[in-house]
Amino acid sequence: MTAAAELVSHNTLVVALGVGAVGFAAGVVGSLCVLRKRALAGDAAAHATLVGVACAFLATGRRDLVTLLAGALLAACAGLGVLVLVRRFTRTRDDAATALVIGVSFGLGITLVSGLPAWGFANSAGLEQFLLGHTAALTSRDAWLLGGVAVVAVAVVAAVLKEATLVAFDAAFAAATGWPVTAIDYVIVGLVALMVVAGLPAVGAVLVTALVVIPPVAARFWTDRVGTLVVLAGLIGLAAAVAGVAVSAARPGLATGPLVVLAAAAVFACSFLAAPQRGWIARRADAPRAPAAGWNSGAAEGGP
Amino acid sequence: MATAAVIAASCGLVGTLLVVRRMSLVGDAISHAVLPGIAVAVLAGGRAGGPLVFLGAVAAALLTVWLTQGLRSAGGLSEDAGAGVVFTTLFAAGVLLVGLAPPGTHLDAACVLHGELAFLPFDTVPLAGWQVPRAFVAGAIVLAGLAIAAAGTWKLQVFTAFDPAGARAAGIPVGGVTIGLLAATALATVASFDAVGAVLVVALLVAPAAAAELLTRRLHRMALLAMGIGALAACVGYLAAWQFHTSASGMIAVVLGLVYAAAAVFAPDEGLLARFVARLRLAWRVAREDRLATVWRAEEAGDPAAARPRTPQESLVVRWLELSGQLAREGSSWRLSPAGRREAENIVRSHRLWEAWLGRHADLPLDHLHPPAEWVEHHLGAAMRERLEADMDARAADPHGREIPPEA
Repeated sequence: MTAAAELVSHNTLVVALGVGAVGFAAGVVGSLCVLRKRALAGDAAAHATLVGVACAFLATGRRDLVTLLAGALLAACAGLGVLVLVRRFTRTRDDAATALVIGVSFGLGITLVSGLPAWGFANSAGLEQFLLGHTAALTSRDAWLLGGVAVVAVAVVAAVLKEATLVAFDAAFAAATGWPVTAIDYVIVGLVALMVVAGLPAVGAVLVTALVVIPPVAARFWTDRVGTLVVLAGLIGLAAAVAGVAVSAARPGLATGPLVVLAAAAVFACSFLAAPQRGWIARRADAPRAPAAGWNSGAAEGGP
Repeated sequence: MATAAVIAASCGLVGTLLVVRRMSLVGDAISHAVLPGIAVAVLAGGRAGGPLVFLGAVAAALLTVWLTQGLRSAGGLSEDAGAGVVFTTLFAAGVLLVGLAPPGTHLDAACVLHGELAFLPFDTVPLAGWQVPRAFVAGAIVLAGLAIAAAGTWKLQVFTAFDPAGARAAGIPVGGVTIGLLAATALATVASFDAVGAVLVVALLVAPAAAAELLTRRLHRMALLAMGIGALAACVGYLAAWQFHTSASGMIAVVLGLVYAAAAVFAPDEGLLARFVARLRLAWRVAREDRLATVWRAEEAGDPAAARPRTPQESLVVRWLELSGQLAREGSSWRLSPAGRREAENIVRSHRLWEAWLGRHADLPLDHLHPPAEWVEHHLGAAMRERLEADMDARAADPHGREIPPEA
């Protein structure tokens, strides 16, 4: 079987590990993000990354991963910046502002990427990979880069976990006791932007939000403790990413992104149904009409 | 181009209701989630733009909403997290299904993401002797259907949008109205699908409505405006894309973004520019009135030196007042013209009346009376001054013992 041979090849293995590390970090960062109820902030950043990829290519003419992802990170931050400006200076509400940034920035990205060949950049083929993710083209050097970003992100989360938890559960109390709530929020959103960019090569701009949202939501069914939640979300992200890369390596025609997302969704479905206590079946058996507890309620650590 | 305009108009109409109901992200979720519905319908033998595909898409849209609600009530997820799980999963499934579709079924991954207006003219149906693109026919039918539905149920939609509790109490089936709106969203999305792709539909849905919302406060005007903006942006974007050799759907989204930005800056009442100008005019009026009052007070105190401007800004104001005939230079000092005096007296009168009123009712120490009066003096009209004076039982002095000038 050539597929099996390729599955264990060195490059694939390293790529799977690198992308897996990103999956882990995305789950960890996503936990903070979802606890803080900012689940879709990452989506705006994700759709904006395409502009950055295209602009980085336009500006440098190079298409190595570092250059493109640096551009993507700048664009993600710019997208979030526009979001903040629209909220601050116009009557447009949050949801419309988010949808606006998603649609328009993605449109700009598509315009640039589709226009590049006609504008004389013949070697721009391959930028479309960032739409749906494609790990087959990644080298082991790229994988080390992704792994490094993941380690940094996890380290930052470990450093701010206590503060971020406090802000997520009781922002008013945190502000009253003198914590810099806005700064912590910016750190969380910045981490999300970073993870969205790191997830880009594997999952693609359109679906990378899922890598940040689904693992923590699935992990929440199993635990009431923030520490456990963060680690568990990371593991789910890791498993989904590795599974996606493996299947995509075995079936080269399939884009990696959807596979990763479906793997994560499968874990979510199992958690939703089968988790003890919070799972649907357990609660059905327990108390047929009990309303579900909210996300930030229950015996979660750090609660007020 | 006509196809794009027709589609954009339907999206603008639906988007208006989504935006005012704060459901923009539901629109985003639906536009992603219709993909598996379309893919299944195509695999089952439907053709793009055909009724089966519409049915599949509407079913997928309702499934999205149902799953999101279900996760919220049965899983305790917040709405955005639930939507984030559902639409990404469905979209991923859709992309894989499209990948499985046999070649030649008019579906491919790139097309799904950002559509391809350029290919539409090749898929035509004969209509009244003309070869008309199939997508245009579908789009026109959807637009007509949506317009009729909107006109017929407008009052219900508006009532539900602005006062859901009241609507429910009045016996309106709120859930049904909402599902109607969602189905309409799905229809508009599917009609747009061939032309602009799944991800860019959200720009068509939200951007025209958000821009229109900045320009007007009447809902029906907002809907018409959103349709117009959408159609216009579609035409401009299409031409620009042709000019620059790039994706028409992407360019339409970019044009919509520019329209929104222009609306945010130049909107007549609430644009950044209008607000900036209004602020500037207020600051200028305050500066002028303060200057006149200062000269008047200097006269009252018999100290002409106090009327002298101290900063460049104050000199500028004095210059303006001289030109407009409210101040006249007299040696090293200034004199109020009759018109300037009238205005100055009203300002000082407002100031002192307010101080007197505050001192009487608010129990503030004497030295706290001046700052609020300094602000309020610019905003009291003659009628207000009259009422304040009546309340004061015609005392002629402020708390500092200075005379309150009579109304000029």
